[in-house]
Amino acid sequence: MKSVTKQKTNVIGAALFAAAMALPYSQSAFAEAAPERGIVSFKYLNYKDSQPDQERVSVNAYSVTGMAPIAGKWSVSTTYTNDSVSGASPERNSHIVSGASKMKDHREAVDLSATRYFSKASLTFGSSYSKENDYISRGYSLQESISTEDKNTTITFGGSYTTDTINPTVNKDQFYDKRVVAGLIGITKILTKQDIVQLNIGYSKGKGYFNDPYKAFEARPDKRESKTLMTRWNHHFDEKDGTARISYRYYTDDWGVNAHTLGMEYVQPLPKEFTVTPLIRLYSQTAARFYLSDFPDPSQEFPMYSSMDQRLSAFGAITIGIKLEKKIAKDWLVDAKLEAYEQRAGWSITGGGDPGLLPFKARSIQLGLSRNL
Amino acid sequence: MIQKALCLTLFITTLTLSGCALGTAVQPWEKQTLARPEMTFEGDKLDTAYTEHIYSSKEAASGGSGVGGGGCGCN
Repeated sequence: MKSVTKQKTNVIGAALFAAAMALPYSQSAFAEAAPERGIVSFKYLNYKDSQPDQERVSVNAYSVTGMAPIAGKWSVSTTYTNDSVSGASPERNSHIVSGASKMKDHREAVDLSATRYFSKASLTFGSSYSKENDYISRGYSLQESISTEDKNTTITFGGSYTTDTINPTVNKDQFYDKRVVAGLIGITKILTKQDIVQLNIGYSKGKGYFNDPYKAFEARPDKRESKTLMTRWNHHFDEKDGTARISYRYYTDDWGVNAHTLGMEYVQPLPKEFTVTPLIRLYSQTAARFYLSDFPDPSQEFPMYSSMDQRLSAFGAITIGIKLEKKIAKDWLVDAKLEAYEQRAGWSITGGGDPGLLPFKARSIQLGLSRNL
Repeated sequence: MIQKALCLTLFITTLTLSGCALGTAVQPWEKQTLARPEMTFEGDKLDTAYTEHIYSSKEAASGGSGVGGGGCGCN
């Protein structure tokens, strides 16, 4: 009985992953002058993850995005994403789960944004919609950027509101809501001809249904409040013509999760219009206070909040990747990116990982084509 | 404790770096390098979108770089 429930859980985990895949894009927290040219880009993603001796979720996604400047004062952007997910249930805890069940899911998402540029400011309104079998999400955002006279310092204020409806396939008469309000303040500063830095402080508060409706022993709080601090630094090396991009994010929430993310990549132009970018990302998180590493003891009182979701346990993760780009003709760019990801309970820098969890691995391939208009 | 120390260090580094540019403002005609795509924080939009959403569906932390990325069904 338990194992059946877990299978469903994991299949839906894959579905939720699909949901996550097609989210609206974050707007970059930096003011720019009105763009002079438009751009159209296409990108394909193939993603697969696995745990020892078992393949899990596989995703194929396609996205098209376009941006067009209008009358030198406006720009409009739109993105369409279509993805399909198929999966087998993972062996989440080696001592609990066995067997596999197959699932398939399909999802579509659209977002639209418009930006008005002023001499030292810009204002962007964005909206998004995404839909799949059991999940609908609508989002709205507003962002204002204001620059100093010399345009070397830009302050950004942003806010967003998201409302989701969850209609589990196991109970079609049941509808759940989730609403999230988020805000961000950022400062971007040009330091030298070769250096630019950014600091963003973010806040998010959500209310409603945070559970995975297909999961056993799933009783998460009905609210979640998180704070983030992010710093980024890009430095250009004139001698090699390369650029180092470094970012660090601290995340904390009232579920007890604290996380550190460090990203580093180096962009190196090569002869014949090639560019190569190796990258590495290091991540570590603590567990949510209510994370359960095993089924609760029936003789004990059941905890008020609980979840057995591996993503709420303590772990560390490493990504390594490489991206290759080539300008194939005037205004045409092709790119390919490969990434390998691994998550382990023992890699959490603060310890406390669940020893029952198997290492989790993923790899992704992206292929892209874009054209300046 | 380690996290707090690391966090504070980075915070201070950023502030310090910001401070060191005072009085030597970069002029508009000196911004060719800064205008290159890899020197902006925006990057490849679709790449960023795929990557961020893979991470937000596999890890408990998310967000930080901008607004508008709502609607996550990844719990």
